Amino acid sequence: MRRLYIVVAMAVGLYLDSVFFAKVNISGIRPDVLMAMAASLGVLLGMKSGAIIGLCTGLIADILFSPRIGLSAMGYMFAGWIGGIFYQKYYADNIIIPALVALAGAIFKECVMAVVSALSGARFSFFAVLGTYIIPCALLSAAVCMLFHAIMRRALASQLKVERTYEHDSHAQGGVK
Amino acid sequence: MRGILKNKPLIIMLIAILLLGILAFVTSADRSVSWIESTLGSVIQPVQSFAAKASNGIISFVQKVFKTSDADKELEQLQVRMAQLEQAADENAKLKAENERLKKLLNYVETLENYEYVTAVVTGNSQGVWFETFTINAGRNKGIEKDMPVVCAEGLIGRVIEVGANWSKATAIIDPSSEVSVMVERTRDIGVVRGSFSATSDNQLELYFLPSGFDLVPGDKIVTSGMSSIFPKTITVGTVSEVTRRSAEGSQSNAIIEPAVDFGHLEEVLVLVPKAAEE
Repeated sequence: MRRLYIVVAMAVGLYLDSVFFAKVNISGIRPDVLMAMAASLGVLLGMKSGAIIGLCTGLIADILFSPRIGLSAMGYMFAGWIGGIFYQKYYADNIIIPALVALAGAIFKECVMAVVSALSGARFSFFAVLGTYIIPCALLSAAVCMLFHAIMRRALASQLKVERTYEHDSHAQGGVK
Repeated sequence: MRGILKNKPLIIMLIAILLLGILAFVTSADRSVSWIESTLGSVIQPVQSFAAKASNGIISFVQKVFKTSDADKELEQLQVRMAQLEQAADENAKLKAENERLKKLLNYVETLENYEYVTAVVTGNSQGVWFETFTINAGRNKGIEKDMPVVCAEGLIGRVIEVGANWSKATAIIDPSSEVSVMVERTRDIGVVRGSFSATSDNQLELYFLPSGFDLVPGDKIVTSGMSSIFPKTITVGTVSEVTRRSAEGSQSNAIIEPAVDFGHLEEVLVLVPKAAEE
């Protein structure tokens, strides 16, 4: 069931990023839904799962829509991994941590993109782009991450509860031995 | 500080204020009411029509339960009939718009003698502003190959860069890495058009390498020169919006070009397949 939720979330994220927000944006400023998803799932599921989900999602997005495969995957994997650092360290209903992770991840990804784009011959002022595009987009991604995290936390609540109870029991049995 | 960070409503409020501030800042520069209305309409319309349909179902159920007189029944029948007619009218309008778009494409294709065409629908766009790539729903199954030109009724869109079994990726001429050999239609001067990076959705092209003593004025139409092996001759690229430099030396562009194609609203495109390649 957990996998189904994750697959549905990935599909919705891909649709929103590649179709919906490509047409509906504020002068090019748009949230990175897949970044929000990777950050949130990292916080909810841990470093390994977060990084793998981020990597897979990024690769799919790159293969389908990007001219350079691996750039988005790098950013999403980073966000999933960073999110995993906070796994079980905060209450699951804390929406600020995943939002901050999404914010940092989005800035990291866009900076990587900027470097690659500059190396490809694009001419722009980095600080102007940082102020008018990267930071507004990262803030929107963080806002989307808050919403996404609230939804996914509810959707995965029962699954996470079962998993944690099992982990707790395993630790308890190990302690007896 | 910790107290503030723990206060979620305050944080959310601050972020909301910040986002609204950014929104206000962005919209203050190039504010266009019709654009905002249009965007809001396009976002809200599907949700609204779904909600209206759902609520109509509930309302009609309640009315069926409580309305018993002949007049009420007649009114109900008329309302149902009206709803059906409205739905049919909406459908007709949609089909008419699609028909007009396709007719324009067909008329355009008839002007290209040495090319067959494959119609495709844009299924996705690359994220962000760094690369201008889009995916279409036609690939090897329709005979598409790398470097084939992609056009629409308005003009040149770009070229195919990757081909899958039933999909292809194309890069638009507004991508900063894109270069197209072009010609000023009025003077026949040859130059090169490059994609220009923009952090906003203002898509522009830069015109380079015009010969010394070139004659260019805003409004001049720029078309493909036919000198490259990729793009056929005289496909519209755009119009000159600003002449930035009169001399031909240096690395600065000669002019800014407004693309003929609205890259923000691409729906159906044509991939041009050379007739010789097809045989």
